[in-house]
Amino acid sequence: MKHDIQEWAVIKRLLGYATRYGRSLSIAFVFLLLATGAKLAGPFLIKVFIDEFVTPGVYPTNWVVTLFVVYMVLHVSAIVFDYLQSISFQKIALKIVQNIRIDIFKHVMGMRLAYFDRTPAGVLVSRITNDTEAVKELYVGVMSTFVQSGVQLLGTYIFLYILEPTLATMGLVLVPLFWLIIWAYRRYSTKYFAQVRDLLSQLNAQLNESINGMGIVQQFRQEERLIRQFEETNEAHQEARYRNLKLDSMLLRPIIELLLAFSIIGLLGYYGVLSTTEQVQVGVVYAFISYIERIFRPVLDIMQRLSEFQQAVVSADRVFKILDTDEPAPGKNLSGEADVVAGEVRFDDVTFSYDGEVDVLKNISFVAKPGETVALVGHTGSGKSSIINLLTRFYPYQSGQITIDGQPIEQFEEAELRDKVGLVLQDPFLFTGTIEDNLKLFNPSIDSDRVREAAEFVQAHTFIEKLDAGYGHQVGERGATFSSGERQLLAFARTVARDPKILILDEATSSIDTETEERVQLALDRMRRGRTTIAIAHRLSTIQDADLILVLHRGEIVERGNHQALLRQDGLYKKMYELQSGQRLMS
Amino acid sequence: MFVAALELVPPRIIGRIVDEMNEGSLEQNLLWLLLGGLAAVGIGNYVARFFWRYFIFGASIRLGRLLRSQLYRHFTDLDQRFYKKSRVGDLMAHATNDVQAVSMTAGAGILTLVDSVTMGTFVIITMVTTISWKLTVVALLPLPVMVALTTRYGKLLHSRFGVAQAAFSELNDKVQESVSGVRVLKSTGEVGRDVDSFENLSDEVMAKNVRVAKIDALYDPTIFGIVGLSYILSIGYGAYLIEQGELTIGQIVSFTAYLSLLTWPMLAFGWLFNIVERGRASYDRIERMLAVKPEIQDDPVAATKLAHSEIEADIHSFAYDEHTVLQDVTFRLERGETLGVVGRTGSGKTTLVRLLTREYDVSEGKVKIGGINIRQVQKSVLLERVALVPQDHFLFSDSIASNIAFGRPDAKMDEIMEAAKIAEVHDDIMRLPDGYATLVGERGVTLSGGQKQRISIARALMVEADVLILDDALSAVDAKTEEAIIDHFRTGNPDQSCLIVAHRLSAVEHADEILVLEDGRVIQRGSHAELIRQAGWYKDTYDRQQLEAIVEGGGHHEA
Repeated sequence: MKHDIQEWAVIKRLLGYATRYGRSLSIAFVFLLLATGAKLAGPFLIKVFIDEFVTPGVYPTNWVVTLFVVYMVLHVSAIVFDYLQSISFQKIALKIVQNIRIDIFKHVMGMRLAYFDRTPAGVLVSRITNDTEAVKELYVGVMSTFVQSGVQLLGTYIFLYILEPTLATMGLVLVPLFWLIIWAYRRYSTKYFAQVRDLLSQLNAQLNESINGMGIVQQFRQEERLIRQFEETNEAHQEARYRNLKLDSMLLRPIIELLLAFSIIGLLGYYGVLSTTEQVQVGVVYAFISYIERIFRPVLDIMQRLSEFQQAVVSADRVFKILDTDEPAPGKNLSGEADVVAGEVRFDDVTFSYDGEVDVLKNISFVAKPGETVALVGHTGSGKSSIINLLTRFYPYQSGQITIDGQPIEQFEEAELRDKVGLVLQDPFLFTGTIEDNLKLFNPSIDSDRVREAAEFVQAHTFIEKLDAGYGHQVGERGATFSSGERQLLAFARTVARDPKILILDEATSSIDTETEERVQLALDRMRRGRTTIAIAHRLSTIQDADLILVLHRGEIVERGNHQALLRQDGLYKKMYELQSGQRLMS
Repeated sequence: MFVAALELVPPRIIGRIVDEMNEGSLEQNLLWLLLGGLAAVGIGNYVARFFWRYFIFGASIRLGRLLRSQLYRHFTDLDQRFYKKSRVGDLMAHATNDVQAVSMTAGAGILTLVDSVTMGTFVIITMVTTISWKLTVVALLPLPVMVALTTRYGKLLHSRFGVAQAAFSELNDKVQESVSGVRVLKSTGEVGRDVDSFENLSDEVMAKNVRVAKIDALYDPTIFGIVGLSYILSIGYGAYLIEQGELTIGQIVSFTAYLSLLTWPMLAFGWLFNIVERGRASYDRIERMLAVKPEIQDDPVAATKLAHSEIEADIHSFAYDEHTVLQDVTFRLERGETLGVVGRTGSGKTTLVRLLTREYDVSEGKVKIGGINIRQVQKSVLLERVALVPQDHFLFSDSIASNIAFGRPDAKMDEIMEAAKIAEVHDDIMRLPDGYATLVGERGVTLSGGQKQRISIARALMVEADVLILDDALSAVDAKTEEAIIDHFRTGNPDQSCLIVAHRLSAVEHADEILVLEDGRVIQRGSHAELIRQAGWYKDTYDRQQLEAIVEGGGHHEA
């Protein structure tokens, strides 16, 4: 079903990551070779013991002791090297995955907001963690198994060859047989495995949704219907697993055992026939049987990891697709330095479209002089938010120019722009951590005093103090325990702590209880003092003292002026104003 | 059993052939006969193994399915109290990880148990009886050490793995947060520092995984080491026994073949302890989960019919745990009437709604519907009469039409549209790419809060209940639309009674009676006209909400 994946390309790329660890890898590989060599020498020594001493029945003490010591030394070194190689490979694998994980996180966080608008958060999270986790399995489990099994297979075969070249050559017959089994298994298992996985995730999705929406389900008494739906998926999942099981039972362990049995038959047949004409070394037969058993184990290991391998490749492919999606956030792309000094914001004939087809802003021009407040009003979709998105350089615009203190915004360093232009969002996103952490937001240059000052300034101090542990209060559940007004105040404090020159406000639309509303209003007034402010207003009452009000309609400025002037114009603003005041007064 | 017995045959035959070979006395006919026997056993073994695995793993698959079904059914029985207390993630874990662990114990665990016990016993018996008990004892000496070690590793691995998993889920939360809060991070210019903190966390995850790997890497070398020791012991001691004339070389070869058959059961035994332990813990959790009883259950003699749907509430008090939330709230809601409930956040409005739909039972006093105490009414009968639009508007990942028709899956399209029109969301829906067929939720389009709220209202309207309760369900809808919706209610179904809980007073202006709650008590009641004439919270709030309309430069009161 997902055959469009360039499997080899993905694997090659994954291996590319491994080359960064060339040195550690070579060491691990040497460990592996040593371990394999030491392991394989065991049966060989026993063969020598049987043929040289047991069969003739003579035991020269020196030789026997030497043989024993050599065996023990090899045995112990096999144990030690085996441990070392295994841990080295796993460590490298973990480091590689760590690398990939950081790469993708950094890459995603650097993308422009349009990307986040398009891509659901859940998808990104699962790419960054779950898919990289699957890639981890690929490295830790699968690739190291493949390498180890491969080396073991090869090593075993070399020993076989040393023992008995003719027989070893005949043993080559096994290679195409193994290939055939692996091919057949892979062919079906990929399909069945994908079915099982899809159905399981569907099952979990249904379960998750039902648990989340159980209130609604019970309210509307749809329990039986949903149980039926769940049962259908459950049943389908069971059937898919049965199909998978049948395949596994047929092709996995049992068939390998069968093949092993026949190899031994072949081996014994060969020696049996041989023994009628000449003396056969029994030790060789012993060693051969031991080695043959060792050939089969790696093959089984590889086969058992195949389905994981498939899944990991799919995951890796998804990870790489994201890494290949190159939509960096617009940054500084003009040379020269620029600083925000006074804080004059100017839009000069700016036209902007999100998708390149429909212009959401058309020929917008206005100036906010230092310290002034410019309010943006208009219906949903009129373009208010887009103006903010451009000024914060979240989206690149198509034509015109936006300047701060006369310099185009593309000329500012990211740090300068973010320090001096403070954005207060409608939904103040609260992170896990304490209140103080949230106000600092990772920035070490903001100390506790500044946090408190900021909170006092925006009147958030009183309610924070009332929380248990005050500023050390742990924000739970993304701040769901706070009222929307309180959350708004926290957002203000976060911005004020950074003391920006230019303030961008996106007023909350959701209802705030009236008492908090007053505090919010007061805080807003104080914050605006001495700062150039661009504010989106939903309630016209909050912006009546603005120096300039821009009335937007379908991406254009249709009216401009201060409150009084706009009311006199008797246009859209006046209508909006009357609508808002009117409905309260109807009764 | 059969499989185990079959497994024992090949080493005997191999030993026989080797002995004959060693003496150079191997006859062609005998050789072919023996080899034929080997082949037959091999094929028999294949067939037997196939069925054996198929049946045992099959049983475990069926068990997994059964447990899932039971849990799901159980989840649908549990009430909202339970869901308020539990976290979705934990509940999911029961139905996924725990079910998987139990099913694995039942499948792989049982398989291993039967396999290792029967196989182990058979092999040892065979070794003792057909070869030499002395050699058997000597060869088996190191094996208990292996069992002890691997069991110990298993425990260590399990605990370290748990730690690593916890770190991983922390990482997961971190990513979730960063992605959701990307706007904030970008606007404050802290993306770089966020990446740093991700790196730290990621380092931690790696370090914890390395600790797991350190144990994990011990398994193979340990097994190899101890099995190797067994081999050398049996060959060495075997050589001595051959010297003594007690054994032949062929017997040694068979013996080592048996020995290799024994390693697996031994290993499995150690592994089994862990898996059974995990499976049992999971099974206990599932059992506990299934034993949870819904706190609100139907009375065995509960009424199954209601004469009418008039609600009489006479709540003396209601408390969550110790904390009293409602006191002395009484009202009647008659057919076709509208009751408004207002008050600040935390005044008890939502709690009142929960008592009416019997999410909770009144501590003292009673709520009656159709003249019967709702405790004596079957919950499904109650819910048939009362439709609630809750604050949080949950929609399923399905089409909009299916979401609206959720309570009546067989509804016709025009009925769905009718409901959507009353809820003032029809036009919004028509503007979406696929209209009513548009998918919402995770994989579908993102709707605004107001749109979701209106779809939930349409969903509640679909079931045509006698009583409609809106629990602040219009908060994200603009004032004009809100008015239109409330207007539709009044004209649309004159027999339907309505209970409207709201922040915005305009939503309850037309109610027949309005209750003002504060700290769980009714502080004011009456119609809008009455309340507006009294001094009090209602009038204050009304004035304050108008404050934005009556502003200094304006005076434009008239629309």
